[in-house]
Amino acid sequence: MELDFSIVARFQNALALGLWTTIQLTLICIVLGCALGFLIGLARTSRSAVVRAVSSVYVEFFRGTPVLIQLFWIFFCLPLILGVELPNFASGIIALTLYMGAITSETFRASLKSVGREQLDACIALGLPRRVQVTSVILPQAVLRAIPTLLSNCVSLFKESALVSAVGIADLMFIGQNISNNTARPVEVLTIVALIYFIIAFPLARAVSLVERRILAKLAI
Amino acid sequence: MTMSFSPPLVKVESLHKSYGPNIQVLKGLDIEMKPGERVVVIGPSGGGKSTLLRVIMGLEKIDSGSITFGGKPYISSAGRDKKTIIDTEVRRSIGMVFQHYTLFPHLSVLQNLILAPCKVRGEKKEIAIKRAQALLERFGLAAKANSYPAQLSGGQKQRVAIARALMLDPKLMLFDEVTSALDPELVAEVEQVILQLAAQNMPMMIVTHDMWFARNIASRVIFCAGGAVVEDGPPEQVLGSPKEERTRDFIDRVFHIRQ
Ligand SMILES: Nc1ncnc2c1ncn2[C@@H]1O[C@H](COP(=O)(O)OP(=O)(O)OP(=O)(O)O)[C@@H](O)[C@H]1O
Ligand SMILES: [Mg+2]
Repeated sequence: MELDFSIVARFQNALALGLWTTIQLTLICIVLGCALGFLIGLARTSRSAVVRAVSSVYVEFFRGTPVLIQLFWIFFCLPLILGVELPNFASGIIALTLYMGAITSETFRASLKSVGREQLDACIALGLPRRVQVTSVILPQAVLRAIPTLLSNCVSLFKESALVSAVGIADLMFIGQNISNNTARPVEVLTIVALIYFIIAFPLARAVSLVERRILAKLAI
Repeated sequence: MTMSFSPPLVKVESLHKSYGPNIQVLKGLDIEMKPGERVVVIGPSGGGKSTLLRVIMGLEKIDSGSITFGGKPYISSAGRDKKTIIDTEVRRSIGMVFQHYTLFPHLSVLQNLILAPCKVRGEKKEIAIKRAQALLERFGLAAKANSYPAQLSGGQKQRVAIARALMLDPKLMLFDEVTSALDPELVAEVEQVILQLAAQNMPMMIVTHDMWFARNIASRVIFCAGGAVVEDGPPEQVLGSPKEERTRDFIDRVFHIRQ
Protein backbone atom coordinates (compact mmCIF):
# COMPACT_ATOMS: atom_id res chain seq x y z
CA MET A 1 0.00 0.00 0.00
CA GLU A 2 1.37 3.34 -1.02
CA LEU A 3 0.72 6.41 1.03
CA ASP A 4 0.35 9.75 -0.63
CA PHE A 5 -0.15 12.54 1.85
CA SER A 6 -0.05 15.19 -0.87
CA ILE A 7 -3.69 14.25 -1.47
CA VAL A 8 -4.55 15.91 1.78
CA ALA A 9 -2.81 19.11 0.74
CA ARG A 10 -5.22 19.45 -2.17
CA PHE A 11 -8.05 19.77 0.29
CA GLN A 12 -6.36 22.07 2.76
CA ASN A 13 -8.84 24.89 2.27
CA ALA A 14 -11.81 22.63 2.93
CA LEU A 15 -10.09 21.21 6.01
CA ALA A 16 -9.26 24.70 7.27
CA LEU A 17 -12.90 25.67 6.88
CA GLY A 18 -13.95 22.57 8.79
CA LEU A 19 -11.46 23.34 11.55
CA TRP A 20 -12.78 26.87 11.74
CA THR A 21 -16.33 25.52 12.18
CA THR A 22 -15.12 23.15 14.91
CA ILE A 23 -13.33 25.97 16.71
CA GLN A 24 -16.30 28.34 16.46
CA LEU A 25 -18.68 25.68 17.70
CA THR A 26 -16.36 24.77 20.57
CA LEU A 27 -15.74 28.36 21.64
CA ILE A 28 -19.42 29.31 21.55
CA CYS A 29 -20.37 26.23 23.55
CA ILE A 30 -17.55 26.84 26.04
CA VAL A 31 -18.79 30.35 26.77
CA LEU A 32 -22.50 29.45 26.90
CA GLY A 33 -21.86 26.12 28.63
CA CYS A 34 -19.66 27.62 31.36
CA ALA A 35 -22.20 30.35 32.05
CA LEU A 36 -24.99 27.78 32.23
CA GLY A 37 -22.82 25.45 34.32
CA PHE A 38 -22.06 28.23 36.77
CA LEU A 39 -25.76 28.97 37.27
CA ILE A 40 -26.62 25.29 37.57
CA GLY A 41 -23.74 24.82 40.02
CA LEU A 42 -25.23 27.58 42.17
CA ALA A 43 -28.72 26.12 41.77
CA ARG A 44 -27.51 22.80 43.09
CA THR A 45 -26.52 24.45 46.35
CA SER A 46 -29.80 26.38 46.51
CA ARG A 47 -31.91 26.46 49.65
CA SER A 48 -35.00 25.53 47.67
CA ALA A 49 -35.46 21.77 47.39
CA VAL A 50 -37.32 22.17 44.10
CA VAL A 51 -34.48 24.13 42.48
CA ARG A 52 -32.00 21.55 43.76
CA ALA A 53 -34.07 18.65 42.44
CA VAL A 54 -34.64 20.14 38.98
CA SER A 55 -30.98 21.04 38.52
CA SER A 56 -29.86 17.60 39.74
CA VAL A 57 -32.12 15.80 37.27
CA TYR A 58 -30.78 17.95 34.46
CA VAL A 59 -27.15 17.32 35.37
CA GLU A 60 -27.54 13.59 35.95
CA PHE A 61 -29.47 13.19 32.72
CA PHE A 62 -26.84 14.87 30.58
CA ARG A 63 -23.99 13.16 32.37
CA GLY A 64 -25.67 9.79 32.18
CA THR A 65 -26.56 9.61 28.49
CA PRO A 66 -24.36 9.48 25.37
CA VAL A 67 -23.68 12.86 23.81
CA LEU A 68 -24.64 11.41 20.46
CA ILE A 69 -28.17 10.67 21.68
CA GLN A 70 -28.47 14.17 23.13
CA LEU A 71 -27.40 15.56 19.81
CA PHE A 72 -29.87 13.44 17.84
CA TRP A 73 -32.60 14.22 20.30
CA ILE A 74 -32.13 17.97 19.95
CA PHE A 75 -31.75 17.62 16.20
CA PHE A 76 -34.76 15.38 15.51
CA CYS A 77 -37.11 15.64 18.48
CA LEU A 78 -36.85 19.26 19.57
CA PRO A 79 -38.15 20.63 16.23
CA LEU A 80 -41.12 18.27 16.49
CA ILE A 81 -41.91 19.42 20.00
CA LEU A 82 -41.33 23.12 19.38
CA GLY A 83 -42.79 23.01 15.89
CA VAL A 84 -39.88 25.01 14.45
CA GLU A 85 -37.08 23.97 12.14
CA LEU A 86 -33.67 24.55 13.70
CA PRO A 87 -30.61 25.06 11.51
CA ASN A 88 -28.04 22.27 11.97
CA PHE A 89 -25.50 24.56 13.53
CA ALA A 90 -28.02 25.86 16.06
CA SER A 91 -29.02 22.41 17.24
CA GLY A 92 -25.35 21.48 17.52
CA ILE A 93 -24.79 24.52 19.72
CA ILE A 94 -27.83 23.80 21.87
CA ALA A 95 -26.87 20.17 22.39
CA LEU A 96 -23.22 20.78 23.19
CA THR A 97 -24.06 23.77 25.41
CA LEU A 98 -26.49 21.69 27.45
CA TYR A 99 -23.89 18.95 27.71
CA MET A 100 -21.12 21.39 28.65
CA GLY A 101 -23.42 23.06 31.17
CA ALA A 102 -24.03 19.77 32.94
CA ILE A 103 -20.35 18.86 33.03
CA THR A 104 -19.07 22.26 34.18
CA SER A 105 -21.81 22.63 36.79
CA GLU A 106 -20.19 19.72 38.61
CA THR A 107 -16.85 21.49 38.36
CA PHE A 108 -18.29 24.69 39.80
CA ARG A 109 -20.17 22.83 42.51
CA ALA A 110 -17.04 21.06 43.68
CA SER A 111 -15.04 24.29 43.71
CA LEU A 112 -17.76 26.16 45.62
CA LYS A 113 -17.69 23.39 48.20
CA SER A 114 -13.93 23.59 48.46
CA VAL A 115 -14.12 27.13 49.87
CA GLY A 116 -13.98 26.13 53.51
CA ARG A 117 -16.12 27.00 56.48
CA GLU A 118 -13.13 28.95 57.90
CA GLN A 119 -13.34 31.46 55.08
CA LEU A 120 -16.96 32.12 55.94
CA ASP A 121 -16.11 32.49 59.63
CA ALA A 122 -13.48 35.05 58.70
CA CYS A 123 -16.03 36.93 56.59
CA ILE A 124 -18.48 37.09 59.48
CA ALA A 125 -15.80 38.08 61.96
CA LEU A 126 -14.94 40.97 59.63
CA GLY A 127 -18.59 41.94 59.41
CA LEU A 128 -18.75 41.49 55.64
CA PRO A 129 -22.34 41.60 54.38
CA ARG A 130 -23.58 38.50 52.57
CA ARG A 131 -23.25 40.13 49.15
CA VAL A 132 -19.59 40.98 49.74
CA GLN A 133 -18.90 37.51 51.15
CA VAL A 134 -20.14 36.02 47.91
CA THR A 135 -18.67 38.47 45.39
CA SER A 136 -15.32 39.22 47.03
CA VAL A 137 -14.44 36.00 48.82
CA ILE A 138 -16.38 32.91 47.80
CA LEU A 139 -16.85 33.35 44.06
CA PRO A 140 -13.31 34.47 43.22
CA GLN A 141 -11.85 31.51 45.09
CA ALA A 142 -14.35 29.08 43.62
CA VAL A 143 -13.69 30.29 40.08
CA LEU A 144 -9.92 30.16 40.57
CA ARG A 145 -10.16 26.63 41.87
CA ALA A 146 -12.44 25.65 39.02
CA ILE A 147 -10.11 26.84 36.26
CA PRO A 148 -7.93 23.71 35.85
CA THR A 149 -10.92 21.36 35.67
CA LEU A 150 -12.76 23.80 33.41
CA LEU A 151 -9.82 23.73 31.02
CA SER A 152 -9.97 19.92 30.91
CA ASN A 153 -13.71 20.20 30.32
CA CYS A 154 -12.97 22.50 27.37
CA VAL A 155 -10.44 20.09 25.88
CA SER A 156 -13.00 17.28 26.17
CA LEU A 157 -15.63 19.41 24.52
CA PHE A 158 -13.29 20.21 21.65
CA LYS A 159 -12.87 16.48 21.03
CA GLU A 160 -16.54 15.57 21.65
CA SER A 161 -17.56 18.25 19.16
CA ALA A 162 -16.57 15.85 16.35
CA LEU A 163 -19.89 14.12 17.04
CA VAL A 164 -21.80 16.98 15.39
CA SER A 165 -20.64 15.64 12.04
CA ALA A 166 -23.29 12.97 12.58
CA VAL A 167 -26.05 15.55 12.14
CA GLY A 168 -24.45 17.05 9.07
CA ILE A 169 -22.60 20.04 10.50
CA ALA A 170 -19.57 20.66 8.29
CA ASP A 171 -16.94 20.57 11.02
CA LEU A 172 -13.41 19.22 10.74
CA MET A 173 -14.57 15.64 11.27
CA PHE A 174 -17.38 15.92 8.71
CA ILE A 175 -15.11 17.38 6.04
CA GLY A 176 -12.39 14.85 6.77
CA GLN A 177 -14.83 12.00 6.45
CA ASN A 178 -16.18 13.34 3.15
CA ILE A 179 -12.73 13.78 1.65
CA SER A 180 -11.78 10.33 2.87
CA ASN A 181 -14.86 8.78 1.24
CA ASN A 182 -14.53 10.66 -2.02
CA THR A 183 -10.81 10.04 -2.48
CA ALA A 184 -10.83 6.53 -1.05
CA ARG A 185 -7.74 7.54 0.91
CA PRO A 186 -8.90 7.03 4.49
CA VAL A 187 -5.45 6.35 5.92
CA GLU A 188 -3.89 9.62 4.81
CA VAL A 189 -6.93 11.81 5.36
CA LEU A 190 -8.12 10.46 8.69
CA THR A 191 -4.59 10.36 10.06
CA ILE A 192 -4.09 14.01 9.22
CA VAL A 193 -7.47 14.93 10.70
CA ALA A 194 -6.60 13.07 13.89
CA LEU A 195 -3.27 14.87 13.99
CA ILE A 196 -4.98 18.26 13.68
CA TYR A 197 -7.22 17.45 16.65
CA PHE A 198 -4.20 16.23 18.57
CA ILE A 199 -2.01 19.23 17.81
CA ILE A 200 -4.64 21.50 19.32
CA ALA A 201 -5.80 19.33 22.21
CA PHE A 202 -2.44 18.09 23.44
CA PRO A 203 -0.79 21.43 24.33
CA LEU A 204 -4.06 22.53 25.96
CA ALA A 205 -4.11 19.40 28.10
CA ARG A 206 -0.51 20.06 29.09
CA ALA A 207 -1.31 23.65 29.91
CA VAL A 208 -3.98 22.42 32.30
CA SER A 209 -1.49 20.76 34.64
CA LEU A 210 0.72 23.83 34.52
CA VAL A 211 -2.13 26.17 35.39
CA GLU A 212 -3.30 23.75 38.06
CA ARG A 213 0.05 23.74 39.82
CA ARG A 214 0.20 27.52 39.75
CA ILE A 215 -3.29 28.02 41.11
CA LEU A 216 -2.89 25.42 43.81
CA ALA A 217 0.39 27.00 44.87
CA LYS A 218 -1.34 30.35 45.11
CA LEU A 219 -4.39 29.14 46.99
CA ALA A 220 -2.54 26.95 49.45
CA ILE A 221 -3.20 29.16 52.43
CA MET B 1 -15.18 62.78 92.49
CA THR B 2 -18.22 61.41 90.82
CA MET B 3 -18.66 57.71 90.65
CA SER B 4 -19.71 56.83 87.15
CA PHE B 5 -21.22 53.46 86.55
CA SER B 6 -19.51 51.72 83.69
CA PRO B 7 -21.26 48.61 82.43
CA PRO B 8 -19.30 45.40 81.89
CA LEU B 9 -17.78 45.16 78.43
CA VAL B 10 -19.10 41.65 77.99
CA LYS B 11 -21.66 39.95 80.14
CA VAL B 12 -22.45 36.33 79.41
CA GLU B 13 -25.43 34.99 81.32
CA SER B 14 -26.38 31.32 81.68
CA LEU B 15 -25.20 30.54 78.21
CA HIS B 16 -26.25 27.15 76.87
CA LYS B 17 -24.95 25.84 73.59
CA SER B 18 -25.11 22.43 72.00
CA TYR B 19 -24.17 21.01 68.65
CA GLY B 20 -27.15 18.81 67.90
CA PRO B 21 -29.20 17.05 70.56
CA ASN B 22 -26.37 14.97 72.00
CA ILE B 23 -23.45 17.35 72.21
CA GLN B 24 -24.02 19.76 75.07
CA VAL B 25 -20.98 22.02 75.09
CA LEU B 26 -21.77 25.07 77.21
CA LYS B 27 -24.01 24.35 80.17
CA GLY B 28 -24.99 27.60 81.77
CA LEU B 29 -21.88 29.71 81.49
CA ASP B 30 -21.59 33.08 83.26
CA ILE B 31 -18.78 35.50 82.58
CA GLU B 32 -18.50 39.19 83.23
CA MET B 33 -15.64 41.05 81.65
CA LYS B 34 -14.84 44.62 82.64
CA PRO B 35 -13.53 47.20 80.16
CA GLY B 36 -9.76 46.99 79.78
CA GLU B 37 -9.55 43.44 81.07
CA ARG B 38 -7.51 40.77 79.37
CA VAL B 39 -9.13 37.46 80.10
CA VAL B 40 -7.28 34.23 79.42
CA VAL B 41 -9.48 31.18 79.16
CA ILE B 42 -7.86 27.85 79.92
CA GLY B 43 -9.31 24.39 80.23
CA PRO B 44 -9.24 20.81 79.01
CA SER B 45 -9.63 19.97 75.35
CA GLY B 46 -13.26 19.78 74.35
CA GLY B 47 -14.27 21.92 77.30
CA GLY B 48 -15.90 24.50 75.08
CA LYS B 49 -13.29 27.29 74.97
CA SER B 50 -13.41 27.70 71.21
CA THR B 51 -17.16 27.41 71.29
CA LEU B 52 -17.36 30.23 73.84
CA LEU B 53 -15.24 32.52 71.68
CA ARG B 54 -17.17 31.59 68.55
CA VAL B 55 -20.44 32.37 70.30
CA ILE B 56 -19.13 35.75 71.45
CA MET B 57 -17.97 36.43 67.89
CA GLY B 58 -21.52 35.76 66.72
CA LEU B 59 -20.54 32.72 64.66
CA GLU B 60 -22.79 30.22 66.42
CA LYS B 61 -26.42 29.80 67.32
CA ILE B 62 -27.12 29.42 71.02
CA ASP B 63 -29.72 27.35 72.87
CA SER B 64 -30.46 29.84 75.61
CA GLY B 65 -28.91 32.60 77.66
CA SER B 66 -27.79 36.05 76.67
CA ILE B 67 -24.78 38.22 76.04
CA THR B 68 -24.60 41.96 76.40
CA PHE B 69 -21.81 44.12 75.05
CA GLY B 70 -21.02 47.46 76.61
CA GLY B 71 -24.37 47.27 78.39
CA LYS B 72 -26.30 46.77 75.15
CA PRO B 73 -28.13 43.56 74.28
CA TYR B 74 -25.99 41.63 71.79
CA ILE B 75 -26.96 37.98 71.60
CA SER B 76 -30.10 36.36 72.93
CA SER B 77 -32.42 33.56 72.08
CA ALA B 78 -36.08 34.26 71.83
CA GLY B 79 -39.45 33.06 70.75
CA ARG B 80 -40.93 29.62 70.82
CA ASP B 81 -38.40 28.22 68.36
CA LYS B 82 -35.52 29.72 70.37
CA LYS B 83 -34.16 31.65 67.44
CA THR B 84 -30.74 33.18 68.08
CA ILE B 85 -30.84 36.94 67.73
CA ILE B 86 -27.52 38.62 67.02
CA ASP B 87 -27.12 42.38 66.79
CA THR B 88 -24.80 42.59 63.79
CA GLU B 89 -24.04 46.23 64.53
CA VAL B 90 -22.59 45.21 67.90
CA ARG B 91 -20.82 42.27 66.31
CA ARG B 92 -18.81 44.68 64.17
CA SER B 93 -17.03 45.98 67.25
CA ILE B 94 -15.54 42.56 67.95
CA GLY B 95 -12.56 41.11 66.11
CA MET B 96 -11.31 37.54 66.11
CA VAL B 97 -8.18 35.65 65.13
CA PHE B 98 -8.43 31.91 64.70
CA GLN B 99 -6.08 29.01 65.24
CA HIS B 100 -5.99 28.15 61.59
CA TYR B 101 -5.10 30.79 59.09
CA THR B 102 -8.16 32.42 57.69
CA LEU B 103 -6.61 34.99 55.42
CA PHE B 104 -8.21 35.25 52.00
CA PRO B 105 -5.72 33.35 49.81
CA HIS B 106 -6.70 35.07 46.56
CA LEU B 107 -6.00 38.54 47.95
CA SER B 108 -2.67 40.16 48.75
CA VAL B 109 -1.84 41.12 52.31
CA LEU B 110 -2.84 44.72 51.67
CA GLN B 111 -6.10 43.69 49.98
CA ASN B 112 -6.86 41.39 52.92
CA LEU B 113 -6.51 44.37 55.23
CA ILE B 114 -8.57 46.90 53.31
CA LEU B 115 -11.41 44.64 52.14
CA ALA B 116 -13.60 45.04 55.22
CA PRO B 117 -12.94 48.76 55.87
CA CYS B 118 -13.78 49.60 52.26
CA LYS B 119 -16.75 47.26 51.89
CA VAL B 120 -18.24 47.50 55.37
CA ARG B 121 -17.55 51.06 56.41
CA GLY B 122 -17.28 52.58 52.96
CA GLU B 123 -13.86 53.94 53.80
CA LYS B 124 -11.95 55.58 50.94
CA LYS B 125 -9.45 53.18 49.45
CA GLU B 126 -6.48 55.55 49.76
CA ILE B 127 -7.21 56.15 53.41
CA ALA B 128 -7.61 52.46 54.15
CA ILE B 129 -4.32 51.73 52.38
CA LYS B 130 -2.54 54.39 54.44
CA ARG B 131 -3.86 52.88 57.67
CA ALA B 132 -3.04 49.37 56.51
CA GLN B 133 0.52 50.33 55.66
CA ALA B 134 0.98 51.95 59.04
CA LEU B 135 -0.28 48.81 60.78
CA LEU B 136 1.92 46.54 58.70
CA GLU B 137 4.87 48.78 59.47
CA ARG B 138 4.13 48.49 63.17
CA PHE B 139 3.97 44.71 62.96
CA GLY B 140 7.18 44.42 60.94
CA LEU B 141 5.34 43.41 57.81
CA ALA B 142 5.80 46.48 55.62
CA ALA B 143 7.77 44.48 53.05
CA LYS B 144 4.98 41.94 52.72
CA ALA B 145 2.15 44.27 51.73
CA ASN B 146 1.96 42.91 48.21
CA SER B 147 2.69 39.27 49.02
CA TYR B 148 0.01 36.63 48.97
CA PRO B 149 -0.77 34.56 52.08
CA ALA B 150 0.80 31.46 50.53
CA GLN B 151 4.11 33.31 50.41
CA LEU B 152 4.14 34.03 54.14
CA SER B 153 5.35 32.01 57.12
CA GLY B 154 2.80 30.89 59.67
CA GLY B 155 3.86 33.61 62.08
CA GLN B 156 3.56 36.29 59.43
CA LYS B 157 0.11 35.01 58.47
CA GLN B 158 -1.12 35.28 62.03
CA ARG B 159 0.29 38.78 62.37
CA VAL B 160 -1.49 39.77 59.18
CA ALA B 161 -4.69 38.23 60.53
CA ILE B 162 -4.34 40.35 63.67
CA ALA B 163 -3.68 43.48 61.63
CA ARG B 164 -6.70 42.71 59.45
CA ALA B 165 -8.95 42.53 62.51
CA LEU B 166 -7.47 45.74 63.93
CA MET B 167 -8.32 47.63 60.74
CA LEU B 168 -11.90 47.73 61.99
CA ASP B 169 -10.95 49.33 65.34
CA PRO B 170 -12.49 46.56 67.46
CA LYS B 171 -13.45 47.22 71.04
CA LEU B 172 -12.72 43.60 71.91
CA MET B 173 -10.31 41.11 70.38
CA LEU B 174 -10.75 37.35 70.58
CA PHE B 175 -7.75 35.07 70.11
CA ASP B 176 -8.35 31.33 69.86
CA GLU B 177 -5.08 29.43 70.20
CA VAL B 178 -3.51 31.64 67.57
CA THR B 179 -0.05 30.17 68.07
CA SER B 180 -0.81 26.48 68.43
CA ALA B 181 -0.53 25.72 64.73
CA LEU B 182 2.82 27.48 64.53
CA ASP B 183 6.34 26.11 64.54
CA PRO B 184 7.82 26.80 67.99
CA GLU B 185 10.30 29.38 66.72
CA LEU B 186 7.46 31.48 65.27
CA VAL B 187 5.34 31.63 68.40
CA ALA B 188 7.18 34.53 70.00
CA GLU B 189 6.73 37.00 67.14
CA VAL B 190 2.96 36.54 67.26
CA GLU B 191 2.78 36.73 71.05
CA GLN B 192 4.85 39.91 70.97
CA VAL B 193 2.28 41.55 68.73
CA ILE B 194 -0.52 40.61 71.10
CA LEU B 195 1.49 41.85 74.10
CA GLN B 196 1.98 45.11 72.20
CA LEU B 197 -1.80 45.40 71.89
CA ALA B 198 -2.18 44.62 75.57
CA ALA B 199 0.18 47.46 76.38
CA GLN B 200 -2.28 49.75 74.62
CA ASN B 201 -5.10 48.45 76.80
CA MET B 202 -6.94 46.57 74.09
CA PRO B 203 -9.56 44.42 75.82
CA MET B 204 -9.11 40.81 74.82
CA MET B 205 -10.19 37.30 75.49
CA ILE B 206 -7.55 34.70 74.80
CA VAL B 207 -7.56 30.93 74.67
CA THR B 208 -4.04 29.57 74.99
CA HIS B 209 -2.11 26.57 76.25
CA ASP B 210 1.06 28.63 76.57
CA MET B 211 1.74 29.15 80.28
CA TRP B 212 4.35 31.86 79.79
CA PHE B 213 2.06 33.79 77.51
CA ALA B 214 -0.95 33.34 79.78
CA ARG B 215 0.93 34.70 82.76
CA ASN B 216 2.28 37.67 80.83
CA ILE B 217 -0.87 38.73 79.11
CA ALA B 218 -3.68 37.95 81.53
CA SER B 219 -5.24 40.40 83.91
CA ARG B 220 -7.61 37.59 84.78
CA VAL B 221 -7.78 33.86 84.16
CA ILE B 222 -10.84 31.71 83.77
CA PHE B 223 -10.66 27.95 84.05
CA CYS B 224 -13.44 26.47 82.04
CA ALA B 225 -14.31 22.78 82.07
CA GLY B 226 -17.36 20.71 81.30
CA GLY B 227 -19.09 23.71 79.78
CA ALA B 228 -19.02 25.90 82.88
CA VAL B 229 -16.64 28.24 84.70
CA VAL B 230 -14.82 26.30 87.40
CA GLU B 231 -12.49 28.99 88.65
CA ASP B 232 -12.12 32.64 87.90
CA GLY B 233 -9.56 35.04 89.33
CA PRO B 234 -6.29 36.90 88.95
CA PRO B 235 -3.52 34.98 87.12
CA GLU B 236 -1.42 34.54 90.27
CA GLN B 237 -4.29 32.73 91.89
CA VAL B 238 -5.67 30.57 89.09
CA LEU B 239 -2.31 29.70 87.55
CA GLY B 240 -0.24 29.85 90.74
CA SER B 241 -2.31 28.55 93.61
CA PRO B 242 -5.68 27.44 92.33
CA LYS B 243 -8.45 26.96 94.85
CA GLU B 244 -10.32 24.31 92.96
CA GLU B 245 -9.13 20.74 92.81
CA ARG B 246 -9.98 20.45 89.11
CA THR B 247 -8.00 23.55 88.23
CA ARG B 248 -5.02 22.25 90.15
CA ASP B 249 -5.17 18.88 88.37
CA PHE B 250 -5.41 20.54 85.00
CA ILE B 251 -2.54 22.91 85.59
CA ASP B 252 -0.34 20.14 86.96
CA ARG B 253 -1.12 17.98 83.98
CA VAL B 254 -0.91 20.52 81.20
CA PHE B 255 1.70 22.94 82.40
CA HIS B 256 3.69 20.37 84.39
CA ILE B 257 4.98 23.01 86.73
CA ARG B 258 2.96 25.19 89.04
CA GLN B 259 4.17 28.37 90.54
N1 LIG C 1 -19.26 22.22 64.68
C1 LIG C 1 -19.33 21.26 65.64
N2 LIG C 1 -20.18 20.23 65.50
C2 LIG C 1 -20.27 19.28 66.45
N3 LIG C 1 -19.52 19.26 67.55
C3 LIG C 1 -18.67 20.25 67.76
C4 LIG C 1 -18.50 21.29 66.79
N4 LIG C 1 -17.56 22.14 67.25
C5 LIG C 1 -17.15 21.65 68.43
N5 LIG C 1 -17.80 20.51 68.73
C6 LIG C 1 -17.64 19.72 69.96
O1 LIG C 1 -17.88 20.55 71.05
C7 LIG C 1 -16.99 20.27 72.10
C8 LIG C 1 -16.28 21.53 72.53
O2 LIG C 1 -15.45 21.95 71.48
P1 LIG C 1 -14.51 23.22 71.56
O3 LIG C 1 -13.80 23.30 70.26
O4 LIG C 1 -15.29 24.40 71.98
O5 LIG C 1 -13.50 22.83 72.72
P2 LIG C 1 -12.14 23.52 73.14
O6 LIG C 1 -12.24 23.77 74.59
O7 LIG C 1 -11.84 24.67 72.26
O8 LIG C 1 -11.08 22.36 72.89
P3 LIG C 1 -9.59 22.46 72.36
O9 LIG C 1 -8.72 22.81 73.53
O10 LIG C 1 -9.31 21.06 71.88
O11 LIG C 1 -9.54 23.47 71.29
C9 LIG C 1 -16.06 19.18 71.62
O12 LIG C 1 -16.51 17.95 72.14
C10 LIG C 1 -16.23 19.21 70.13
O13 LIG C 1 -16.08 17.94 69.60
MG1 LIG D 1 -10.41 25.09 70.75
